[in-house]
Amino acid sequence: MKKTYFQPIQIGFIFGAVNVFLVLIGFNAMVASLLAKALGEQVLTALPPFPYLAAFTILLGLWCGIAAARKSSRARIAGNVLAGWLSGLAAGSVTFVFCVGIGWLLSNKIDIRNYLTVLSFDFINGVLMGLPPLVGALANLGILAAAGAVGGLLYGFIQSSKVKQINQPILALTCSTTEKLKRLDHGRRRLAFQILGVAIAGAVVIFLPLNWGSYWNYVAGTVGLYVILGLGLNLIVGLSGQLVLGYIAFFAIGAYTMALLNSPLPYNLMWGFWPALVLGVIFAALAGLLLGLPLMRLRGDYLAIVTLGFGEIIRILLKSDVLTDFSGGPRGIQNISGPTLFGRPFNSDIDFMYLIAISVALAAFVYNRLQHSRPGRAWLSIREDETAARACGVNTTRYKLLALALGAAFAGLAGAIYASRNQFTGPEEHSLMASINVLSLIIVGGLGNIPGTILGAFALKGLPEILREFSNYRLLTFGALLVVMMLSRPEGLIPSKRPKYKTPQEADGRNAEEKNVS
Amino acid sequence: MNETLPISIARKGANVLKYLRPVFGAVILIFIIYRLIQTLLIQEIFGPETWTRLVIAGMIIGSVYALIAIGYTLVYGILFMINFAHGEVMMLGAYTCFFVFEALKNIKVGADHSLAFSNAYPVISIIIAFILGMSVSALTGFLLEKVAYRPLRQAPRLVPLISAIGASIFLQNAAQLLFSPQLRDVANPQILARGSGWKFLINGSSVTIPYTGVFTFLLSLILLVSLYLIVQKTKFGRAMRAVALDKKTASLMGIDVDKTISLTFLISGALAGAAGVMWGLHNSMVYYFTGFVPGIKAFTAAVLGGIGNLPGAMLGGLFLGIIESVGPAALGIDFQLKDVIAFLLLIVVLTFRPSGLLGEVLAKEKV
Amino acid sequence: MSAEIITAHNVTKVFGGLTAVDEIDLVVKEKTIHSIIGPNGAGKTTFFNCLSGYYTPENGEVFYCGQSIRGRGTHEIATLGILRTYQNIRLFSSLTAIENVMVGLHHSLHETWIDAVLHTRRYQKDEKHALIEASHWLDFVGLIGCADAVAGSLPYGAQRRLEIARALAGKPRVLLLDEPTAGMNPQETLEMTALIRQMRDDFGITIILIEHDMHVVMEISDFISVLDFGKKIAEGIPSEIQSNARVIEAYLGPGGAALAQKFKRKTRK
Repeated sequence: MKKTYFQPIQIGFIFGAVNVFLVLIGFNAMVASLLAKALGEQVLTALPPFPYLAAFTILLGLWCGIAAARKSSRARIAGNVLAGWLSGLAAGSVTFVFCVGIGWLLSNKIDIRNYLTVLSFDFINGVLMGLPPLVGALANLGILAAAGAVGGLLYGFIQSSKVKQINQPILALTCSTTEKLKRLDHGRRRLAFQILGVAIAGAVVIFLPLNWGSYWNYVAGTVGLYVILGLGLNLIVGLSGQLVLGYIAFFAIGAYTMALLNSPLPYNLMWGFWPALVLGVIFAALAGLLLGLPLMRLRGDYLAIVTLGFGEIIRILLKSDVLTDFSGGPRGIQNISGPTLFGRPFNSDIDFMYLIAISVALAAFVYNRLQHSRPGRAWLSIREDETAARACGVNTTRYKLLALALGAAFAGLAGAIYASRNQFTGPEEHSLMASINVLSLIIVGGLGNIPGTILGAFALKGLPEILREFSNYRLLTFGALLVVMMLSRPEGLIPSKRPKYKTPQEADGRNAEEKNVS
Repeated sequence: MNETLPISIARKGANVLKYLRPVFGAVILIFIIYRLIQTLLIQEIFGPETWTRLVIAGMIIGSVYALIAIGYTLVYGILFMINFAHGEVMMLGAYTCFFVFEALKNIKVGADHSLAFSNAYPVISIIIAFILGMSVSALTGFLLEKVAYRPLRQAPRLVPLISAIGASIFLQNAAQLLFSPQLRDVANPQILARGSGWKFLINGSSVTIPYTGVFTFLLSLILLVSLYLIVQKTKFGRAMRAVALDKKTASLMGIDVDKTISLTFLISGALAGAAGVMWGLHNSMVYYFTGFVPGIKAFTAAVLGGIGNLPGAMLGGLFLGIIESVGPAALGIDFQLKDVIAFLLLIVVLTFRPSGLLGEVLAKEKV
Repeated sequence: MSAEIITAHNVTKVFGGLTAVDEIDLVVKEKTIHSIIGPNGAGKTTFFNCLSGYYTPENGEVFYCGQSIRGRGTHEIATLGILRTYQNIRLFSSLTAIENVMVGLHHSLHETWIDAVLHTRRYQKDEKHALIEASHWLDFVGLIGCADAVAGSLPYGAQRRLEIARALAGKPRVLLLDEPTAGMNPQETLEMTALIRQMRDDFGITIILIEHDMHVVMEISDFISVLDFGKKIAEGIPSEIQSNARVIEAYLGPGGAALAQKFKRKTRK
């Protein structure tokens, strides 16, 4: 009995703490501004009007109430409302204490903006909704408690049969579609999906770049390059199971090869784009081999930290004064020229978008073919159990090196195109954070498969660009999302599936069946 | 009668890989000796006073690395995961240090209320800073485990790593948003102000051993030794080692695995907090990125010493600190490249000892 | 008299201060089932690891068809035709059953990554061959029905058989089986025994077997070697081993021989 009250209150306290945290980083003001803009109101100052700030509190309270009601899983609506109200009250009380605190600061005119940046007097006033401190705090408490109760009520309604009835036709429809799909033969179904996917992707790739602005082409190009990077890293991490953390170093090698061979400074070699591209790929692959040779005895996390170190070494060397003449130091190399094809120079983001789309297709093609082959199976066996793989006659050292070299080559390709497109490359583009981004995208998408990698690249490189509104909160949200994602779907957005093989026996069986029928 | 083999047993070509390692080692050794002779005997750029300074600086930074590395090693030893957010735990400790001294500076004591508390009672202030810093970090570590790692204990190895990376990014940016991105100067008590320390003369020029440095070094040693005793001698330490070896069996023996892991995170967080406060005191500077580089370096140190091995982490930390500080001068390389030397050291050590300096000698898994 | 296929000469393996395998001499004749038995910790698995190249013995040599394979890597030895299974099954557990067997086929295929990317004729030939071969071996161990099942999800007995199929796919001349019937029920044990015999009879594979189930050992072995504390204490055909006093002592402790005699007499009455 006691526990049924305890749990909502606990949830409420957590939500209260989250609310205080969000207020302290000014997140509420940002959401409120967005709300105001969405409703067509002009927001001139950094601080939106009070009602919208209150709306943020209400939303949080609703969520809190729903969460509490869900956890308590009562049968009756009244129980849900009670759970929601209790949690809202708990969240409110935490907020109340906080509001009293900042209210005291306001009434005594103590400015602590130097320590907690957002707490300006205006902002505190906004949180208290223009009311005197104690009243404002009480108002916050009231809002959260009421919203919590409403949240509980809402959840109760969703639970009750009415909503389910509305859902029924939709459910029936999806069921019948999946049934139809299931009835198709496995191979044919896959083929149908593939044709559909390729057709849609082709249409998108061919027509969209022309209608997009330069900015969206740029963003899409970046996503495409990260797809290539993701596929390359997937060869190493997803297939052969070697955790590599400094992957972006190979990208840097590709980028700098392009930069050195194809820009006026420092050497004015100007070999042209295509030879530089090929050399960039080759150099990156060689670097992968060279790094791998002494280190193939290492397992798991040891390899991770060593490759992390390798990435940092490359970055620091490129940045340092020692190599300034060669790499341009912290300023990097500018004015890298683009490719020419049949006498026509590539100079817009649209041209590059097509180039990148072709490269992505090429990378995906190569990855796909490698996946279902003898080397692919050898890699998988190393990932699963290295000792047993050796005992099966797989030369694990050779295959690990091969994976590293091929993965590095993918990165070299992406790097060379990247440098040429941006007409610039500098050391800070190749920081550890970039490596971590690539690793995160393949794991968020689903380790070891192509659709997952593409989705992951969109989620991790595309979304932040779309969510420009979040600007300051982008990385924070990104970090939180990574954690939430891992907690809720550890196998990634699109989990890998094993391919199906049609054994001769099965085929015989089916032939026999068909004969019987006819 | 011996039947001949259907396939030739003879090897195709020589095994190149076998000779690669010795050659690699020889090249590096020759390079190091060549540079050492160059800088030490031929050019003689630096006198003994510089070397002393560098070694002192290396020992101080090394002891901080060691403290953070212990956290990595403890967590790795018990969960086999890299706690990527550990550097951020340390950063929060450093921020706590900043806030404590800031607050104590503004509390005025003395006859005419003009003396800051932190200057009037420096020892008490420092103790307060350490207690608060260590508790904040310990709490962070504890919550981190509870929220981001515990639900993932059965997941594949990469999943908690990504979760840790996410937590690290989150904490870093939360600190930036809360406390603003600017660099903060820690208001050290006057006796610990920058540049104060025991001075003595070597070769006619003065060398300072900073008080903060000595203090950092000694406190690190004390913490490390007491941790070692806890792990080796107490009941909790025994539980911890048991959980590290085999969680299932440990739980069958009546050990509360969850509690043990939580406590491990508390301890590793507290040590990182101590490291953070020391960092704040010694460098007098704190910002949201403070934890990143020491975190990576400390992880390097932990691997260098053999991850999962407590004395290894201490040794690795000190070793890395000293090499990083002395290395560039000794090899006559630009000081910008000290991180390159640190990571190269790691690569070289792991090439020849794949499980670190003190790691079990090539622990082959049992088949 | 058939040829000697594996000859271990003076093989010694030391861990720290413990001599796990101590100067073992062993001769295995071709196309026989040769069992290695002994109490727990006798060094049987360590000896297997020396044969399969996982450990390099400190001392002594292993000859395969008269040629030394000392210091060869595990994968080289596997390629030469000495394959093995493990005491605690080691499958590639998130791959499907047929993929596991296809990995076993690794060294009999020739396609490189370039073939795979370009889908050359060699690739197509190899993949077709792989599919047929793998299906064949799955069929042989009776797992063709679950070819597309993920290996880790198969029942225990099926996993053991799959591991054998994977080893068979590598075209072994010598197959090292480490406790193939451990944890099986009597029915499964019977099937496994038949399978082992069939491998020897149908494919002419030499089988070296570590086994604790004495019924199985006595039934199928052509020859038995007994290890205790890393040393070979007896050798011979099953009937000799059964009455060997040292063997009984090793299993039952000092005075065990007399005890066994007594027990035997009692059961005979």
